[in-house]
Amino acid sequence: MGIPMADTVVMTAPRVRPRLGRDEWLMGGGLLALALYLAVTLLVPLVIMLAKSVQDREGAFVGLSNFAHYFTNPALSGAIGNSLWVSVLATLIVIALAFGYAYALTRGCIPFKGFFRLVAMAPLLAPSLLSAIALIYLFGNQGALKDWLFGESIYGPIGIVMGSVFWTFPHALIILITALSTADARLYEASESLGASRWRTFTTVTLPGARYGLISATFVVFTLVITDFGVPKVIGGQFNMLATDIYKQVVGQQNFQMGAVVSLVLLLPAVVAFFVERWAQTRQSSAVSSRAVPYRPKPRSARDLVLLGLVSVVAAMILGILGMAAFASLAKLWPYNLSLTLSHYDFSAADGGSWASYGNSIRLALYTAFFGSMIVFAGAYLVEKARVAQPLRTATHLLALIPMAVPGMVLGLAYIFFFNAPGNPLNFLYGSMAILVLATIAHFYTVSHLTALTALKQLDPEFESVSASLKTPFYRTLWRVTTPMCLPAILDIAIYFFINAMTTVSAVVFLYSPNTTLASVAVLNMDDAGDTAPAAAMAMLIVLTAGAVRLLHTALSHWLHRRTQGWRRGG
Amino acid sequence: MTTPYLRIRNLTKRFGDFTALDDVSIDIHQGEFVCFLGPSGCGKTTLLRAISGLDIQTHGTVEQDGRDISALPPAQRDFGIVFQSYALFQNLTVARNIAYGLENRKQPKAAIRQRVQELLELIGLPDSGNKYPSQLSGGQQQRVALARALAVSPGLLLLDEPLSALDAKVRVYLRDEIKALQRRLGITTIMITHDQEEAISMADRIVVMRAGKIEQVGTPLEIYHQPASLFVAEFIGAMNLLPALLVQQGEIQLGQARLACKVNGFAPGTAVQAAVRPEDVVCTGRTNGHANSFHAEVQDLEFMGPFFWLSLGGGELGEHRLRAQLPSQQARELNLHPRDSTHFHIPAEHIRLFPDGYPHG
Repeated sequence: MGIPMADTVVMTAPRVRPRLGRDEWLMGGGLLALALYLAVTLLVPLVIMLAKSVQDREGAFVGLSNFAHYFTNPALSGAIGNSLWVSVLATLIVIALAFGYAYALTRGCIPFKGFFRLVAMAPLLAPSLLSAIALIYLFGNQGALKDWLFGESIYGPIGIVMGSVFWTFPHALIILITALSTADARLYEASESLGASRWRTFTTVTLPGARYGLISATFVVFTLVITDFGVPKVIGGQFNMLATDIYKQVVGQQNFQMGAVVSLVLLLPAVVAFFVERWAQTRQSSAVSSRAVPYRPKPRSARDLVLLGLVSVVAAMILGILGMAAFASLAKLWPYNLSLTLSHYDFSAADGGSWASYGNSIRLALYTAFFGSMIVFAGAYLVEKARVAQPLRTATHLLALIPMAVPGMVLGLAYIFFFNAPGNPLNFLYGSMAILVLATIAHFYTVSHLTALTALKQLDPEFESVSASLKTPFYRTLWRVTTPMCLPAILDIAIYFFINAMTTVSAVVFLYSPNTTLASVAVLNMDDAGDTAPAAAMAMLIVLTAGAVRLLHTALSHWLHRRTQGWRRGG
Repeated sequence: MTTPYLRIRNLTKRFGDFTALDDVSIDIHQGEFVCFLGPSGCGKTTLLRAISGLDIQTHGTVEQDGRDISALPPAQRDFGIVFQSYALFQNLTVARNIAYGLENRKQPKAAIRQRVQELLELIGLPDSGNKYPSQLSGGQQQRVALARALAVSPGLLLLDEPLSALDAKVRVYLRDEIKALQRRLGITTIMITHDQEEAISMADRIVVMRAGKIEQVGTPLEIYHQPASLFVAEFIGAMNLLPALLVQQGEIQLGQARLACKVNGFAPGTAVQAAVRPEDVVCTGRTNGHANSFHAEVQDLEFMGPFFWLSLGGGELGEHRLRAQLPSQQARELNLHPRDSTHFHIPAEHIRLFPDGYPHG
């Protein structure tokens, strides 16, 4: 046998220990800093929260007795069933509507596609609370369309499902449009030439082609609904959901341990959904070959008429809800005096909100967009391009994926446990604007990280090799080549952070202080105090701000594209 | 002999359980143009990345110009590199791309500008400095990448499949250009390729690799005419492989034909593989006037322009099939048709014998 011989030779030769140059030290250091940052703002708080769930109020270890108490108390554990069935129902409705809508936009020949797409994206600009408030105006005790519910109350599961469908719709739509627009025309030609009926083509070509998109969208929406706090808080009435239970336990009863238990219960479906979604995502992206011929829809009047009807109805509902919220913020005294006024936008009389909250929200959004996109891009760069510390790169990447599986409420509670702990040197952050920024960056880290990674992966992987061979430090190439080439993606990340920081409620609701009240939380508190019209006004302010920033982003992207079309292929 | 410029000793690279490079040693001399040739997965890229420090080997040493660089990061080594993908910085002009390595060396701006212009002229693109890479053709982009690598006057030039992404015509043209440039500058160059024609036409020496090991090192002529193994014989150029029997020292039996050949190290009675290049099978016409010849039937004729492919069988060859390359002019003179029976001659020195069965299993 020759193999042992070869082994002996290798055993005697010493293993090469690569020496590290300045680049390698800097990259390794950067990776370590990033891993530490993610550990402090994400992992450690979550672990501490896990620990709290098996402690009593004094911090003594009590095993699973908190869990036992939770599961034997129907008033508490009943929320599991409630959360599940409401989320499943809302998800089914959203997926059905969004699939039809996406199908119409990608495979139908209908007019005004741009307009319909724009309308469908509008809910992204609003806090989830807005839909609930508008629904109360439409179907509440004094609602304009109260009779449409045949005596059922909007306060409860009906309202939660309707509100959730509104604000999660664009999330599903984006995924399904992507899934449906990557069709290979050759498959349709083959199916047609083999004499398959349209229905058969739909079930054997269209649906299978979009199946990973459907799975992905389903789990994204399910997670959004089950972890959402705004809609059930405003319109849920006495109907218990997991996310609102965490709030009740923590803010209402100061029972942090039980809050941790409910958090863990809520974490479970979110984690499962996360893994299914990641799996579906990777399958979807590998399903399209580069040789596919893009599919061009041909007009078919009967189908197109049905599709146009569907999109019109859905778009009308979206506009109706937004319009209702806008009108509610302007009507003098609903429903008795419907003359228009701007007085609700003067929040001085309202309980729980002010223009200062709005200013705080703007500051939070700006800080989050600025620091968030910098940290995320630098982090994604190191994970993707650093030539050193492979295990650290993998670990950092995995850390960056965690936030997607962590509901905002859970993150917020974990922050209380961690930053409010007496011995923590970071305790000074508690109650500051900084902790809100940290929480918001952490909360929305994953999507931003993946966006940055995608952009970086499109660059030639040998830029760094060439740069090293030319003795140019990596940071110079990062600054002069990588960053300029990724600028559109960086802008996307910044805008994503900005809008989410404006609209989010869940993580920050535990973390704001009297000095750092936020617009989105103000909507919640004013609504809670019965100042519904000012709440609607504040929600509209958020929508208008987010919309304006989105417009600015479009203009900026356009300008950037024109400025750089000299070197962009096919510019 | 002078000391080699690049001394590679016992390089081994493992990825987990997989051994990508298995105890490889070679010397490369100053000013030499060496090609690493082999099928994908043979370890040629791994070897290049170890030499550049981009993926440092698990074991073994690399010395460049007398300096041990085995464990150094790429930035501390002395090489320029060109990739198949060009890896040009898309957002910088051609001139800025070429100047990229110079700008870091705190040279005066005028000197940089002058050097860039020199290089632009060297690659035949004197007026393209202000263009962006996407405005150039693939071949032009690759020349810019070459200029960028050469700008800092590295001691070693590494070319990682530089021509594989280009059209066939551009490829042949750029092949000659790179070779001429390399001769002019006298820069030690290593090129990776899986294209044997490219390797043969460009290299001073070829390193044929297979499964992480070096199969043979030699000049293109040596590799082509004296392949050291069945693998090299088959990988380089077209080759007939025929099962034969060594009947006595210096003679094999192929079907009913007995042919003289050069033999090293086989006992009479051994089953061997006889390797014959198609162009070494000479058609001698309908009468037999040559030693070392046999008659066979032309079963098929395929016109290729300058030559014909002949498929031979039957006659003394029996069940064996042999492909021969016949110059068109000769085929015209002989007026060959399918089913014709004619005589063929193979010079003894062009028959090489290999052990039956694939080398090393």
